[in-house]
Amino acid sequence: MWKSFKDCFIKDNPVFGLFLGMCSTLAISTSLNNAIGMGLSVTFVLILSNVIISAMRKIIPDEIRIPVYIVVIATLVSILQMLLHAYMPEVYTSLGAFLSLIVVNCIILGRAEAFASKNPIGPSAIDGLGMGLGYTFALLLISATRELLSTWGLAFYNPFNAEHILFKFTLPFDSFKITLFSSPVGAFLTFAVFAAIFTKIRNEAAKKEEGK
Amino acid sequence: MNKTLKLLLFLGIVSAVSGLAIGAVNSVVAPVIEENDIKAEKKNLSAIFPESEFEQIEYENEKILTVYKAEDKGYVVKATTIGFNASEPIIILVGFDTEGNTVAVKPLRQQETDGFGSKCFEKANIESLYVGRDLDTEVDLLAGATFTSNAMREMITEAQNVIREIK
Repeated sequence: MWKSFKDCFIKDNPVFGLFLGMCSTLAISTSLNNAIGMGLSVTFVLILSNVIISAMRKIIPDEIRIPVYIVVIATLVSILQMLLHAYMPEVYTSLGAFLSLIVVNCIILGRAEAFASKNPIGPSAIDGLGMGLGYTFALLLISATRELLSTWGLAFYNPFNAEHILFKFTLPFDSFKITLFSSPVGAFLTFAVFAAIFTKIRNEAAKKEEGK
Repeated sequence: MNKTLKLLLFLGIVSAVSGLAIGAVNSVVAPVIEENDIKAEKKNLSAIFPESEFEQIEYENEKILTVYKAEDKGYVVKATTIGFNASEPIIILVGFDTEGNTVAVKPLRQQETDGFGSKCFEKANIESLYVGRDLDTEVDLLAGATFTSNAMREMITEAQNVIREIK
């Protein structure tokens, strides 16, 4: 069970391994704060939707399982949206429409269909946590790279209070910054490089296993 | 027939429970959101006229949401309109001096197309297109953002007319 949790980061990383949820990954990975906000939001919805769907897996009629999943996920997303609006307004504004688009994030529906509907509650919760953190990890990698290249620095503020800056630094020689990386083109470039690195790591690991 | 009824009932129950859950959360967070909004509005107003008291003036029409008088410094109008994105209205604050000249434009909410309509809300464009200009006679639009620029121009002109009427 914990092995599959570890796999969520490199081997089965939802973004670089399974290539799920890429729309939001490409769109919001412009700053560290967005990445953390989006990553944790998705993790929250993923864990709860996995738990609820796993708990209901024996009573959901097979013919209407997808609509039921969508109702459950949409409810969780609405609740999350209201909570963020009330307690983390900055995160709520900067994520904008992508928050409501979590409903159609295929990682969540994918895990509900592929994992939670067939497994008991405990493993489903861990699968949700692993997949959510794997997604957050991927977002952090892409957005840190993009923010660093496009603004030549990194900044992170307290999501509960935007005026409380936790850390911020700028590199010297800021004429080297490449603003292209804050645009969608930069997202694709960064994504491709990381996907290649992850595939390389996976292939090496697979070869090693064969060699044994 | 029986089967269909069962499915319907199941989905109905799930939806009802979901509705109840959303309603419960909403009743808890709605006051917090409202309080945040008031705080945020005050902060936005102070960004235009720092260290000023604001008094609300009764005025409302299709484009004008609220009018504030900032002591003897001027006025702030909260205006809304539809740009290119018909599902999400643009909301801005426009600051006027006592003569009715535009001194500041502050976008509050907009979901115009990123990279096109959104250019109208960049600081440099706001300063060159709207601040201190008479939009009745000077018509500058941003290339690629015709809908949004036109909507912005009409909204600011409307706000300006209201201020000239009031003062």
